[in-house]
Amino acid sequence: MLTMTAVQAPQKQLSIVGRRLGRVDGEEKVSGRAEYVADVLLPGMLWGAVLRSPYPHARIVKLDTSRAGSLAGVRAVVTADETPKRTWGVFVRDQPVLAIDKVRYVGEEVAAVAAVDLDTAREALELIDVEWEELPAVFDPDEAMRPDAPLVHEERNSNVAATIEVERGDAERALAESDVVVEETFQSHPQWHAPIETIGSVAQYTPNGKLTIWMNTQTLFMARGRIAWALGMSEADVRVIQPYVGGGFGGKSCDDNNAMLCGLLAKVSGRPIKLLNSREEEFLAGSRPRVPMKISVKLGFSRDGLVQAKQIRLVADNGAYCGKAPGVFGVSSLRHDTAYRYPNVKVQSYLVYTNKIPTGAFRGFGNPSAEWAVEQAWDIAAEKLRMDPIEVALLNAAEPGYVSPHGNRVISCELKQCIRKAAELIDWKAKRANRQPLHGVSPDQGTAQGEQYRGLGMGTTVHVSGKRHFGDYDGSSAVVKVSEDGKVQIWSGEGEIGQGTMTVLCQIVAEELGVPFEDVAISRADTDLTTYCLGAFGSRLTYIAGNAVKNAAAAVKEQILETASELLEASAEDLQINEGQVFVKGARGRSVTVAEVARARQFRRGGQPIVASGSFDPDSVLQDATRYGNESGAYNFGAQMAEVQVDPEAGQVTILNYVSVADCGTVVNPIAAEGQQEGAIAQGLGYALTERILVEDGRPLNPNFSDYKIPCTLDMPPLKIAFADSYEPSGPFGAKGLGELGLDPTAAVLANAIYDACGVRITNLPISADKIYRALKDREGGEQRR
Amino acid sequence: MAATQSIRLTINGQQHELDVPPNRLLLDSLRYDLGLTGSKEGCGIGVCGACTVLVNGKMVSSCLMLAVMANGTDVLTIEGLAKGDELDPIQRAFIEYGGFQCGICTPGQIMAARALLNEVTRPTEEQVKEWMMGNLCRCTGYYKIIESILAAAEVEAQAKGA
Repeated sequence: MLTMTAVQAPQKQLSIVGRRLGRVDGEEKVSGRAEYVADVLLPGMLWGAVLRSPYPHARIVKLDTSRAGSLAGVRAVVTADETPKRTWGVFVRDQPVLAIDKVRYVGEEVAAVAAVDLDTAREALELIDVEWEELPAVFDPDEAMRPDAPLVHEERNSNVAATIEVERGDAERALAESDVVVEETFQSHPQWHAPIETIGSVAQYTPNGKLTIWMNTQTLFMARGRIAWALGMSEADVRVIQPYVGGGFGGKSCDDNNAMLCGLLAKVSGRPIKLLNSREEEFLAGSRPRVPMKISVKLGFSRDGLVQAKQIRLVADNGAYCGKAPGVFGVSSLRHDTAYRYPNVKVQSYLVYTNKIPTGAFRGFGNPSAEWAVEQAWDIAAEKLRMDPIEVALLNAAEPGYVSPHGNRVISCELKQCIRKAAELIDWKAKRANRQPLHGVSPDQGTAQGEQYRGLGMGTTVHVSGKRHFGDYDGSSAVVKVSEDGKVQIWSGEGEIGQGTMTVLCQIVAEELGVPFEDVAISRADTDLTTYCLGAFGSRLTYIAGNAVKNAAAAVKEQILETASELLEASAEDLQINEGQVFVKGARGRSVTVAEVARARQFRRGGQPIVASGSFDPDSVLQDATRYGNESGAYNFGAQMAEVQVDPEAGQVTILNYVSVADCGTVVNPIAAEGQQEGAIAQGLGYALTERILVEDGRPLNPNFSDYKIPCTLDMPPLKIAFADSYEPSGPFGAKGLGELGLDPTAAVLANAIYDACGVRITNLPISADKIYRALKDREGGEQRR
Repeated sequence: MAATQSIRLTINGQQHELDVPPNRLLLDSLRYDLGLTGSKEGCGIGVCGACTVLVNGKMVSSCLMLAVMANGTDVLTIEGLAKGDELDPIQRAFIEYGGFQCGICTPGQIMAARALLNEVTRPTEEQVKEWMMGNLCRCTGYYKIIESILAAAEVEAQAKGA
């Protein structure tokens, strides 16, 4: 058991971890030489294209590809008949590679073509004859739960894909005994990852039965397993190579069919294939958007502001197939209970099939949707308690030693420090004291006072550093070697998706070994060349892969010291490595370089390389059937605050100031860490304010970048980023995860600030100007009627 | 397939003669006819800026320009920006200040910034934001991109003695 007392950082001076170092992929990326999947060219390569369903729910009566197959330049046409006709999926195997007999959403893959160029491939799609029989479709999860609703999957008797019903303590009794009870229902919406690079693959099938796929995935080994299963192959016969990845955010974790189809076309045609999603395809059937949810929250407090109970009822929109949504809605249901000390909680959550794109993993993994609801409910409660929301948060915040109702064990935790620091940075107390609350004041009075319609909002979050949910393993492994010139090489299959993990892992190894940062290089991820890795998700790599490479480096260090002790005729315990020199402690003159050690160990009778593997699997457990169990080895926390101004004549929101403080333990690379928060907040602002897909009869109307508005330079507010002084004892040099928490509370923070500014509470995302304007006008009308 | 058309243009200081179909996009010609894959396609409709190149010094979305329209022009792509091994000050600043993460939009960001600094010696932060609004980035939130461009502008201004 780890200690539950306050955590002390060790005294060791760090020389490489913690520095603002430029990234190891810098030169390649700024010079346009970094190779992404679209840049991979193979001799004889063909282009693939996919025929997609125009209907949300329809039976395929007839599918005739003969005309397409005879078009000049076409080399292969595939339908479900060319597949093993088995369904696949990470939690539930319900998705076919190509539609079998019927389609369940607009954009679903029906057939695919390989041709000598993209124009020919697309022309061939138009020559595929399909006879459809439209079926009644269901789009709203509440409607889909009704007994008479059309079934998305007939073999199931219901559209409910998964249910979570959990009670810890006695929430109903605690609510009945609470002095203050608040209750509200919130609706969140889907959000697309919208990385600038769409999902794509290049596949090559060789006569030895080996399928090699270059794909921009975040999770190579899990992708390999799913591809092998879906195509009926052995995992060893599938090799996944990760080129540079142009942004992932959860959307490139292989829950879609792109790589399966590319591999299938390569197998059938015998030629290398490139299959890239167009931007429209990316919206229709590419990355699996954030799971939309309707969440009813009920909170009970005692008069002094201590939370007594939380009860939520959650209905989540799964779309047509289960990708990661069964995991996502679990996080939405339970995770917040690790941020605040809830004595009683009750959860009733339903994940429901609809005839829409499958939803799934997006940075935050259920947290942003849940916090949209729960963090607003806390704000409503603070007002009812007549307390400052910061006071209520500090009173109830998790602290070191807290064990959540679901068994999450919090070791390092600086949530309170995050809240206090954020409040300081935005000058919360002074601004709150000076502002004139608008609630109950008419908008006219507000305008007259000039400073009016300004408000402050806050929110907090907790996130994991890796979550044990793909079986009982959440570890990482890596290999480190020292070359004969003293340069160090890391092999890791976790993968770089832009977050900076290559740089961070190099820093950790350089620190552990005592060699210059410039002397450490890291491989690209490749399932044939690296040991098993789960990949980039769950804010896990700095913490988990960081520990794995640190352990490998420690083993390598032992080998260096063993050989150096022979060379220097000193015992290994008396040796130290610094800047690539091994020397006898207290006698700097007696030294050899790491390169000399490597050569001495290698070039002798029976010589050996300096090489070692290292592993790490955190002290977490797989949740049991009741969803109880410590899901992660370490928890990351954050607090965000916003100051906004609302224009009552247009409903327009201006963010005057935004502040985010994160507890990620030791900051390994401040540039990368700030970048993680800045980028996450931008996505959070998009989720809250500007990003919205319009859907008519299951058909997205704006699947492009001109009408689906991700933030641009002009949308970004003045921002202050900070980090809590924190140390995680189980992390590499005290570090833990950071990647996701930066957008978890953002939408709620803005909603709370907008309420503070103008007295209007927006409960359904996105927070658009028209909603605020209408709510203000409605209130005005109500006041006039009174 | 329509008949090809012959065009002559300068790309990154080198003369090229190409036979291209009239519907060939400049972006595809750069990427697939010439192997200059640094320019990226992000949206295909001229909104995201990942395909930004300079044509006769002006910022252009190469996904919206036909190759035949570039006949007789001088094209600069990300591959031609460094002088040998010496990176452009904007490229150096992007590394130093963390102006990129995944890197897919980076060539376009850097070419757009190059066009700005060719015209304005010391742009204000507002000018940079205004100019760069057509270059989308999903990773950085733009703060470090703007910081990188302002830092590069300062380096260049001082080098020019401005």
